[in-house]
Amino acid sequence: MSDSTAGIREPSRFALLASAWTVAAFQLRRLLTRPRLGLAAIGAVFPAAVMLAAGRAARGRLDPDLSVAMLYALIPEAVCMLGLLVTMCPAVADELERGTWPHVAVRPGGRRALLLGTWLAAVIWTSAVAILATGLALSVANVTDPFAVARILVALVLLSCAGRAALFALPAVVMPKRALVASVGVALVVEVLAGVIPAVVNQATVSLRLRSLLVDWMRWKQKLPTEMQLFIDPQPAWVHVLAVAVVVTVLLTAAVLILERRQFPPSEEI
Amino acid sequence: MIAIHNLTKLYGSVIGVNDISVDLGAGAHGLLGPNGAGKTTFLGLVTGQLRPTMGRVLVFGEPPFGNPRVLRRIGFCPAADLGLGATTPREWVGYLVRLSGFGAAEARARADRTLEQVGLAAASCRPLATLSKGMRQRAKLAGAIAHDPDLLVLDEPFDGLDPVARHDLVELVRSWAKTRSLIVASHLLHEVEALDAGLAVILGGRLVASGTAAEIRDLVDSMPAEVRVRCDEPRRFAALACGVEGVESVRFDLGGVVVATRQPTLLMEQAVIRALDAGLSVQEVVAADRSLEGIFGRLVRLHRGVKA
Repeated sequence: MSDSTAGIREPSRFALLASAWTVAAFQLRRLLTRPRLGLAAIGAVFPAAVMLAAGRAARGRLDPDLSVAMLYALIPEAVCMLGLLVTMCPAVADELERGTWPHVAVRPGGRRALLLGTWLAAVIWTSAVAILATGLALSVANVTDPFAVARILVALVLLSCAGRAALFALPAVVMPKRALVASVGVALVVEVLAGVIPAVVNQATVSLRLRSLLVDWMRWKQKLPTEMQLFIDPQPAWVHVLAVAVVVTVLLTAAVLILERRQFPPSEEI
Repeated sequence: MIAIHNLTKLYGSVIGVNDISVDLGAGAHGLLGPNGAGKTTFLGLVTGQLRPTMGRVLVFGEPPFGNPRVLRRIGFCPAADLGLGATTPREWVGYLVRLSGFGAAEARARADRTLEQVGLAAASCRPLATLSKGMRQRAKLAGAIAHDPDLLVLDEPFDGLDPVARHDLVELVRSWAKTRSLIVASHLLHEVEALDAGLAVILGGRLVASGTAAEIRDLVDSMPAEVRVRCDEPRRFAALACGVEGVESVRFDLGGVVVATRQPTLLMEQAVIRALDAGLSVQEVVAADRSLEGIFGRLVRLHRGVKA
């Protein structure tokens, strides 16, 4: 017993961050498998292939603004969403299936660290794939200032990953075994449907914030037809970034609180 | 160390554990019961993975669910195998130690030290998927003890191990339990007996007996045991058996005679000899059910107040 606590960290505000980072690093190492890397490679190449095909179909005369709009739809929306479905949805189900849940659940703060660490790993992994996809797609796309567009897309990718991963954390903890189906439903209902309803309800969606930021940073506001302006929020960029941060905080807090109270009967662990 | 009062856990309408009250002091304890008896649920409640539906469980004086002070002092090795193919024991144990609140360097040092302690140093950098079941069990055990808990909880730790691996692991756990507290759940009596642990027998979610292994055996031995005899004339044999001292009941079952007695060996000698002397042809004598299931069945009958 003499050295049982030697080297133990004192509980502090950084203890949770350290534990979450430990989980994230462990999860990222687990993602480095051939099937996962293969999926990531497909995700990274897919937007470039679409842009190449679109450019050929338009005989090299694809409008630069349309190219950016396509890149936005393909990368911060499609690639990020699909990548997060694969990495974030099984946050708890994977632990139950692999028999690692009880090992983690009996650690002080283990449940919290597991969720936040998995969120971090999902954001890092998916962002890396999406940023690689951005580079590849921009190398074949017809855009006027590729570096400026790259900066905008990378920022949108980071916000998209952070926001959507937090959104998928809820189905992951509420219904672990059906998290993928539930997350697809949430993505369709919240991000696709509610996100385009020009009412208060879309203020809480990440898709509204991303679209509005794209329009703002690309200086498209004047070019947009009046009816299209219904689908964006004309507030300054920092408001949208703050809104995404609030969404992430609220959703992750809710998910952590639910997971800390969840109990899984032994039969669900095997 | 562990105080449990009227503990009940329900999963909807399914009973996990049912109205258990027991105090477990420091030392080694075996939790014995067949599969589905409620052992894992009991351990889940003790290790803070589950919350009681009714009653209360206190570990080190506090409820364990969501309590970092208690969880810090518990090491848990669940029954399920680890499905971490490419992860090495060193990575796995280091990961768990870090989650227990230790820094990176200390976690690595503890992981190495513990893997050596469980005899897995040479295989510590091999993927778990390439290790034998016994080695994976050792890796799980290392993960449970690397942070030096005061209470180690093991759920079916010897399941699926070959005799050599089982012996090694028993020795390991026994030496560990000399200085710390231990709870081992198993469905095999001899595994728990080998650990010199006190016993609590659980069945159908209820605690049906507790005490030392000798006390449990005495309790079992004090109950009537059943001997099944198959012969050509069961009714004549039953009449002969009724005359033997110590026979408590006789009944017919599946073409044979089932005799309940507290002295089965004596019955074998006297009743069968009498039957043979009377010219009966005895085809089969099946001794009392000494398997754990049989012992459990008898303990349940005792628990419910049924005599035989």
